[in-house]
Amino acid sequence: MSQRAEAAGSIYDLGYRHYDGVRLGRRQSFLSLYAYSLRGAFGLGRRTTSKVIPVAVVLLAAAPTLAQLAIAAISPVDARIIEPANYFDFVQVTLAIFCAAVAPELFARDQRMRTLPLYFARGLRRDDYTIAKLAALATALLFITLLPQLVLFIGNGLAGSDLAGYAKDHWMELPQVVVSGVIVAVFFACISAAIGSQTPRRAYSTVAIIAVLILTSVVAAVIADTVGGVTLKIVVLLVPFEAATGVIRWIFNASVARETNLGKSGLDLWICFPAVLTVTAITAWLTFRRFRRLDV
Amino acid sequence: MRSYQERAAAHLSRVKQRNKAGKHCHIFVTDCLLVCVRMTLLETHELTKVYPTVTALDRFSVTIDSGITGVVGSNGAGKSTFLKIILGLVTPTSGEVQVLGFDALRHGPELRQFIGYMPEHDCLPLDVSATEFVSHMAQINGLPRAAARERTAETLRHVGLFEERYREMKGYSTGMKQRVKLAQALVHDPRLMLLDEPTNGLDPAGRDEMLDLVRRTGREFGIAVMMSSHLLSEIERVCDHLVVIEGGKLVRSGPLGSFTERTQVLAIEVDGDGIDEFIARLRNAGLQVVEENHTVLVGIGESRPYDFIRDSVADFGLALVRIEQRRQSLEDLFRPQHAEEEAHDVAAR
Repeated sequence: MSQRAEAAGSIYDLGYRHYDGVRLGRRQSFLSLYAYSLRGAFGLGRRTTSKVIPVAVVLLAAAPTLAQLAIAAISPVDARIIEPANYFDFVQVTLAIFCAAVAPELFARDQRMRTLPLYFARGLRRDDYTIAKLAALATALLFITLLPQLVLFIGNGLAGSDLAGYAKDHWMELPQVVVSGVIVAVFFACISAAIGSQTPRRAYSTVAIIAVLILTSVVAAVIADTVGGVTLKIVVLLVPFEAATGVIRWIFNASVARETNLGKSGLDLWICFPAVLTVTAITAWLTFRRFRRLDV
Repeated sequence: MRSYQERAAAHLSRVKQRNKAGKHCHIFVTDCLLVCVRMTLLETHELTKVYPTVTALDRFSVTIDSGITGVVGSNGAGKSTFLKIILGLVTPTSGEVQVLGFDALRHGPELRQFIGYMPEHDCLPLDVSATEFVSHMAQINGLPRAAARERTAETLRHVGLFEERYREMKGYSTGMKQRVKLAQALVHDPRLMLLDEPTNGLDPAGRDEMLDLVRRTGREFGIAVMMSSHLLSEIERVCDHLVVIEGGKLVRSGPLGSFTERTQVLAIEVDGDGIDEFIARLRNAGLQVVEENHTVLVGIGESRPYDFIRDSVADFGLALVRIEQRRQSLEDLFRPQHAEEEAHDVAAR
């Protein structure tokens, strides 16, 4: 045996101690996987390069909001461009990029590194794993869909001279902001999870997520200008950006502009809600099915 | 080494102390179970796994006691399927498995808190540090955060990782990665560890150290170990018991010693002229004799003709180099046909 190993041997001989403390079981497994995945989504505990993309994208998504707050703070004119009802229009592309960057990280990494058997061979059920990962991704998306809106809400109140008056006039918006933010986060989390979990290859799933989230709205635009009619109505319900916009407008009881794809379809906005729920359910089921069937 | 009874008693007293401290009740129950079933670690009954194209396990029934057990078999014999069923990674087509007193098929998650698994393949996320990863794995096993950190530091030290444990695992050597893999299987203080080819890819020195760690884990830490390997020399060095699988069926299971039992063949090595006459004399006396590479093999039954052989050697003026009763070697397990033929040949002639 080498000299180094012998030297180390003297340290080994402190003896092995058994663990006599508590074992918290499944709940602890679930919570720690959730926390670890959420940290991983932002590259925490990893090298600096892993943090760059997620943090940059979140900042990019927050930029319009911060800009508006800055303008509101220095100019006396009440020029509000971003409203809760149209906030999503400003962040949808950055949201899609964030999904494409982070979902493969959360759902393909353990397959690529072959860490999955270690999870499944512990006191964790396969569905627990999927739920923890989905929850972590949805939580990460809230940093884009909800957090800037809350900042905006508080900022708008502080910018005006009358904070109490602002809160009194706008308190109705708060639950709407939260509900729409959560729905959009869960909706996008499930779609990108369903895609991101299908292959261990990160590059493929990144491209596929971009295609499904962003390119589909290009398709919708083309159909809106050419075919129209019932086809457009169906397509609009299936395209994530359009369906999500529809749900948000419906929640805020706002209208859509005539010249948008959604406006051209002439669809009743409430129909977007069951459409979003259905797509969320199907994509969540696809994710669960993937991890239930995966041979590890 | 302490006896089972002593270890069980020590374990029970630990459990009692813990219970006095008012900590988790279900652990107390489990530990009592463990004390009761200390002797039998694992029991399968008619375990069968049929894949669309192949039957991986075919009515496989075995009982395994605590200690270090080697699971051997050629590639595709069903070793991995067997380990994966215990781990709940594969669902058997039919049959039953009891591990540590749990029904492994119905109470998988509860059971797996007490199992550590080291896969054969790479399984480490290379972009995090060993500390971060092993501590995360401990928490996945249900350990609270602070305890997980403490155990991680201890376990990594046990497997021989020091300052480098704070570095990204990307830069680790194969030996270091194997140590981290072992550490993540040990960090939650399991009652049973399943090691799939733990020395895979290691150089001779790394292999020695890994086997030493496995032996210490089994003997000194008192953790039952099941280890699969296709290297018999490793199994011989480390294991107390052996389970041999071939074609999804149990070939044999028992203490290591029983695999190297004496056979009914006497090997005599002699030197000098007149060996042929010597053999002829033995044959005339009614013994079954075969000559093989300067060694005369004599089939012995109840007769025990040692004195006759000695006298014959002396009569022909031969030099007697060696006379011994042949032992079965573990290698025979992997060429059973050859061994059978040999025995058959000797008996037939």
